[in-house]
Amino acid sequence: MKRFSFMIILVLLASSSFAAGQVPAKPSHADKCPVCGMFVYKYPDWTASLRLADGTTLYFDGAKDLFAFLFDASRYRPGTAVGDIKDIFVKDYYSLSPVDGRTAWYVAGSDVFGPMGRELIPFAKESDAREFRKDHGGLAPLPFSGVTPATLQALK
Amino acid sequence: MALLERQRRLLDFTLSSLLRRKGKNGALVAVYALTIFLLASVLFFGESLRREASIILADAPSLVVQRMMAGRHELIPDSYADQVRSIRGVRSVKPRLWGYYYDPLSGANYTIVTSEERKNGTIAIGSGVASTRKLAVDDVLPLRASKGDTMLFTVAEVLSEESALASADLMIVTPADFREFFAMPAGFATDLIVDSGNPRECSTIAEKIAIRLPDTRPIVREEILRTYDAIFGLRSGMVLAVLACAVIAFLIFAWDKATGLSAEERAEIGILKAVGWDTSDVLLMKFWEGTVISVTAFLAGTALAYAHVFLAGASLFEPALKGWSVIYPAFRPTPVFDPAQIVTIFFLTVVPYIAVTVVPVWRAATIDPDAVMRT
Repeated sequence: MKRFSFMIILVLLASSSFAAGQVPAKPSHADKCPVCGMFVYKYPDWTASLRLADGTTLYFDGAKDLFAFLFDASRYRPGTAVGDIKDIFVKDYYSLSPVDGRTAWYVAGSDVFGPMGRELIPFAKESDAREFRKDHGGLAPLPFSGVTPATLQALK
Repeated sequence: MALLERQRRLLDFTLSSLLRRKGKNGALVAVYALTIFLLASVLFFGESLRREASIILADAPSLVVQRMMAGRHELIPDSYADQVRSIRGVRSVKPRLWGYYYDPLSGANYTIVTSEERKNGTIAIGSGVASTRKLAVDDVLPLRASKGDTMLFTVAEVLSEESALASADLMIVTPADFREFFAMPAGFATDLIVDSGNPRECSTIAEKIAIRLPDTRPIVREEILRTYDAIFGLRSGMVLAVLACAVIAFLIFAWDKATGLSAEERAEIGILKAVGWDTSDVLLMKFWEGTVISVTAFLAGTALAYAHVFLAGASLFEPALKGWSVIYPAFRPTPVFDPAQIVTIFFLTVVPYIAVTVVPVWRAATIDPDAVMRT
């Protein structure tokens, strides 16, 4: 376990997209996904998280719910604006380590399902996403800015 | 209070009437207890074997790659490891060295594995090896190497008995000693263990390995688990098949005892009714009779089975259920107590017995006492 967390830290240090050493905290047993209301700690492989400017962290049980929140933050957590969001983390599918959600690539419509059914699968690198498509199908990989409410609608 | 008192008196009457027919009821309880003993022993033993297996497999790698030649397991070249490493989703690949050593002195097969964390010239041994070769820490263990010379190993550690079945026959040496001992060429390993970052990708990685390295066989942990489960299932199945005969014999016995009320018993019911007992009283009395017999047999049978499996090492089934190596003369399953199993045994034996005893009594008890006594 020690070696594993050391590896995660190494990956994080190596990745230039991170602000120095910012590792997302782990969800507690009480943390619920603001979008679907499920307990997040049960699905560590899928956990996505947002850090707000005031220091609070919100956890989601998948990138799909994270995007649902981004598109309509005030509906799920009144008083929150998209401008308050500082950091976004998603779990890279292959390594299961947290990566910056804004630079990650996403594949929709694959045969891999998350805790909430059809999922947007996040990848640290575009090449990983393309390789994943060969194995598991799905639509063309999207960058962070390419994910739209229509993308989510298609996953419902 | 009155209700309790009534039950107590009924129970009292039942016990004394049971004691009047000591021989018959004693035999019934004995046969009944024997059947429960066999059934419970199989369940306890199967469960403890499965528990052992899950301890073994808790640390099993998610994917193992073996090279095959002509359908047999072959040494795998290190270059294969690099090819597997290049597959997306693979976090790490480690060549592994292990093998078997036949020890003519004890007539047993030992499993030799390697660990980088040991020192050259030392060995860690399982409890079974330690007892058959009468070894303790710091003793010297001479083993005959592949080239015919004898290698001396100093025992550095005797492994704990958390899972006796898994580690009893184990020997751990360094990779360098292993290669020297078995004269294994450099650049080869016994197999590869692959760690996939995401367990979901394991089967995809296995498929890719099978395509890129056609002479290999990737084994996914779930398959190993299934195989173990099937083996234990099959072995306890063999015992269960034998047991089925015992159960059927018991059922015939119980059915005969329970359904065919003897003339004496029918007369007894008639007399009880004639002296003023209600049908419900007779039924309650017979219910208590069935309960006393089956609960006694159940408690005796399960207690005996527990002692047999966990104290005596399941000496009755050992040949059928284990028997993969001669190293386990004193295998003691780790005691497990699973309330669900006890409840299963209870519902399989006690409840049906009480049910079958009450029905014929109800039939006899509803008939006019005069008619019952005449027959």
